[in-house]
Amino acid sequence: MKKAIASFFAFLLLLPFTVEAAKIPLPRGYVNDYGNMISPSVEADLAAKLKKFEETDSTQIVILTVPSLEGDPVEDYSIRVAEAWKIGQKGKDNGILFLVSREDRKMRIEVGRGLEGKLTDLTAGRIIDLVVKPKFKAGDFDGGFTAGVSALIDATRGEFKADRKAPSGGPYVPFAGGMSPWLAFLILLGFFVLFAAMARSQARRDDLRRRGSRRGGTWGGYPPFPGGYYGGGWSTRGDRDSGSDSGGGFSGGGGGFGGGGASGDW
Amino acid sequence: MGKQLRYLGLGMVLLMLSGCGYNVMQQNEEAVKAAWGDVEATYQRRNDLIPNLVETVKAYAKFEQDTLTQVTEARAKVGTVQMSKDALDDPKKFEEFQAAQNSMSSALSRLLVVVEKYPELKANQNFMDLQHQLEGTENRINVARTRYNKAVETFNASIRIFPNNLTNQFLLHLKAKEPFKAAPGAEKAPQVKF
Repeated sequence: MKKAIASFFAFLLLLPFTVEAAKIPLPRGYVNDYGNMISPSVEADLAAKLKKFEETDSTQIVILTVPSLEGDPVEDYSIRVAEAWKIGQKGKDNGILFLVSREDRKMRIEVGRGLEGKLTDLTAGRIIDLVVKPKFKAGDFDGGFTAGVSALIDATRGEFKADRKAPSGGPYVPFAGGMSPWLAFLILLGFFVLFAAMARSQARRDDLRRRGSRRGGTWGGYPPFPGGYYGGGWSTRGDRDSGSDSGGGFSGGGGGFGGGGASGDW
Repeated sequence: MGKQLRYLGLGMVLLMLSGCGYNVMQQNEEAVKAAWGDVEATYQRRNDLIPNLVETVKAYAKFEQDTLTQVTEARAKVGTVQMSKDALDDPKKFEEFQAAQNSMSSALSRLLVVVEKYPELKANQNFMDLQHQLEGTENRINVARTRYNKAVETFNASIRIFPNNLTNQFLLHLKAKEPFKAAPGAEKAPQVKF
């Protein structure tokens, strides 16, 4: 019996290794050619094009090529990459991942939630079938990527306009910043102590003035408990901080993906 | 002095509320409900595609009445099994919902196998478009289900750990939610591939 239990746990220990999925590479920029499919000059062109597109339209299109998916379904892998890289802006969810696996001869266009209206599964599927696939089949990867990116840009054009105020931090949403509950609580507690002290001194003054309406004196003279207001102020500051460090190249903003897009092979 | 004590007491209550997981559990439950909303929406999306698909297939594959009827019936059945967000902790209801959706999935995949016999249908642009949409929808269902299961996992864990379990027992009375289980014979949601 003991042996059975022991072997069961040994089996459990093995599990994570047997189901380990393909690793997600680090994002290097708009074009991540880990599969060595794109020639350097075209790669530079594409990166410049995508950077400019993000500046004018705010939509982030990122290309990733990998040598192999290592057995993962392409849909699985692409959504994991899209989430890990946080393509697109938070709230706008305007990211697109164009994933190509060289050895599997598979590709997928993963579309962020905010773009599903313009770049439907259907449109993405047609871009793969009619624009990219024929070129890939002919062995013209450079042409396939260039044409595919142009088609994606055309399809999404006008869906969102870049707003200059929040270059990469996304729109201002009160309470959206990641203020930890503990910090919030400490701030609240701080105000609480402050109020207690103020109320006390006010009460003493009231006493000196020979008891006016005490309740009005302690609470009415001050703004109500300021949790919401000051909480909002805090998270804006956090937002601005995180927005200011947008360096060169591509930086993800936390766009959401819901599994939209299309896959294909060649 | 008495006033000071009262402030102190109020502060203690606040401290207890944030330390005992009251808010965390509520948030986790809301997350489960939100994730469920996505699951429902994606299933609904699939259901909306089906009449179109059936019509298109009908035009080409007249001899597959049985398969088509099965799809239509499964769709009708799915329509009758509704799951509200508040019934997610009811294993029986959840199982019913899952069974209905699974029978829908298998009817659909049977239909798509049948379609293989009709080359003109497969080459039809309308059908190819539908395929893309259906494929996308199945993928969304997959994503939504995975996220829902993750949210359920978080929630179920949060009502069981100490001291949340005490708070839950005395104040909230939340019950564990049901996750999706893999359909018998399939490790993952049916993939529609062409």
